[in-house]
Amino acid sequence: MGEGIVRYKYDVWGEEVILGVSWDLLWVVAVAVLILLAAHAIIMAVLANKKMDKPSSEGRRVLRHETIDRLFHWIMAGSILLLILTGVAPIIGLRIAWLNWHWIAGLVLTFVVIFHIVRSLFWQDFKSMILGPRDFGEPFDSAKKPGKYSFEQKGMHWAVTVVVLAVIVTGLLMFIQIDTPFWNRTNSMPESQLGLVFLLHGLSTLALVALAATHIYFALRPEKLFYTRSMISGWISEDEMTANHDTSRWSPKEAD
Amino acid sequence: MVATSHDVMPDIELYQPTDEATALALADTLGADGWLLGGGQDTYGWLKDRNKTPAAMIELTQVDAWKGIKETADGIEIGAVTTITEIATNPLIQSKYALLSTAAGRVASPQIRNVGTLGGNLVQDTRCWYYRRGLDCYRAGGNICYADSPEGLNREHALFGASRCVAVSPSDTAPALVALDATMVVSRVGGQRLITAQDFFVGPARDILHMTVLNEGEILTAVRIPNTWANAEFYFEKVADRNVWDFALVNVAAAFKVSGGTIEDSRIVCGAVECTPRRLNAVEDAIRGQQRSEQLAEDVASIASAGARPLNYNHFKVPLMENLVKRAIRG
Repeated sequence: MGEGIVRYKYDVWGEEVILGVSWDLLWVVAVAVLILLAAHAIIMAVLANKKMDKPSSEGRRVLRHETIDRLFHWIMAGSILLLILTGVAPIIGLRIAWLNWHWIAGLVLTFVVIFHIVRSLFWQDFKSMILGPRDFGEPFDSAKKPGKYSFEQKGMHWAVTVVVLAVIVTGLLMFIQIDTPFWNRTNSMPESQLGLVFLLHGLSTLALVALAATHIYFALRPEKLFYTRSMISGWISEDEMTANHDTSRWSPKEAD
Repeated sequence: MVATSHDVMPDIELYQPTDEATALALADTLGADGWLLGGGQDTYGWLKDRNKTPAAMIELTQVDAWKGIKETADGIEIGAVTTITEIATNPLIQSKYALLSTAAGRVASPQIRNVGTLGGNLVQDTRCWYYRRGLDCYRAGGNICYADSPEGLNREHALFGASRCVAVSPSDTAPALVALDATMVVSRVGGQRLITAQDFFVGPARDILHMTVLNEGEILTAVRIPNTWANAEFYFEKVADRNVWDFALVNVAAAFKVSGGTIEDSRIVCGAVECTPRRLNAVEDAIRGQQRSEQLAEDVASIASAGARPLNYNHFKVPLMENLVKRAIRG
């Protein structure tokens, strides 16, 4: 079996067949993310003294996330974390019966993502998540404030969208190959195609690990904690909104 | 790469420790690179085919502390490098645990039993021919089970517990030890852990790359059999394509506590139908408190195979398993 970014082998006919991604990359991703986030934390700590006052969480509250959307977010977060844990377990040598948990979490993720796509297209303000040319200038101009979502938030959302859709599609193709309560395994996909599916699933998993770690890090940053709070309670204060958002581009209703 | 069998052994660093501490230290230091060698009957095929290429081998058969059979306050303890022949012919085992001596006597051939060890028989790798041939199946770290593909040849493979891989446990002594409620003594540098025989073996759902719970650096050093089933009524039968020098298509190991013709308790375990020895709890429950008879055996035999999922070529294992269980119960 060859190793590099891709694991491959020669089959019985001497043809090169892809097996999947090299799981050494998991450690590369883990270390790289750790270094980058640590560097960000240090830089932010150094700059902290020059920061302006933190906006108050007191006063009038505006609605940032509706209950149904918060529920979606946490179910999705739970399923992704379970997918990562159960997927990584056999790679790092943990001997647990991971496969059933993995596909069940995968199905949950698939259903909530379908729900979210439908809801975002017809019941939410889809335009607020679209990345436009103005968004790209935002990080370089402190005078430019975002609407409901900042450039970083939109970037994270679309990166997660691409990666999650990739793990779902490849995961479903792998799901067909195993026994489930819904069907018996067929084990009939050609090895070369299966290898490609495993490779894409592995690559998107690595990206998801990096994105999840980055997302959790920023959710726990002191200056972003009010966003995390809003994902639990639904609201941010008017002060937090005006300090971080352009109210002409986002005018939410008052929170209950 | 697919196997090419060689007449000579590859170059391997050979360690031959004579005491426990050195053997455990070597296992600890070498980790995955240190192949544990008992009688070598599973090992040499792998090495000659170049399908496993360990850098070093630790020969365990010179460690006297892990040899022999001794009586303890609660039963017997068998060193893991005791040969299968010794177990098959030992008077103490024959008198108290004939189930194990009978099973040991059915392992492979006399020549193999003379050098093969109990530990080796228990931790040996599966005999799936695709896997042994060196194909990169799931068990070898790949993405596919050749034995379970539409064209796969699988007459010797699993009826139960397949999770991607359909290979089975090939051991004859394993079902007997599960039936006898044995405990495995697993040693490593700095300690020991005791594992019930039933929990010692793992299926592909939990770990598709290994067949036991042994971790790197650990060595199965002894097997303890409690008095619980000493002198019980035993039954062992193995069906294979040949009477000698072959692995089981199905085997059954059973122990019964019978009083006045009534089965008070039992253990019934089948081998070669799953990746681990399969204890038939439902059958044991069904016969508890019943008169041991031909009719009872007839009535419960089908319970044994409940949930079986035959592959393309191993449907015959279902009636075979049922009949072996029937014969075990009727005695």
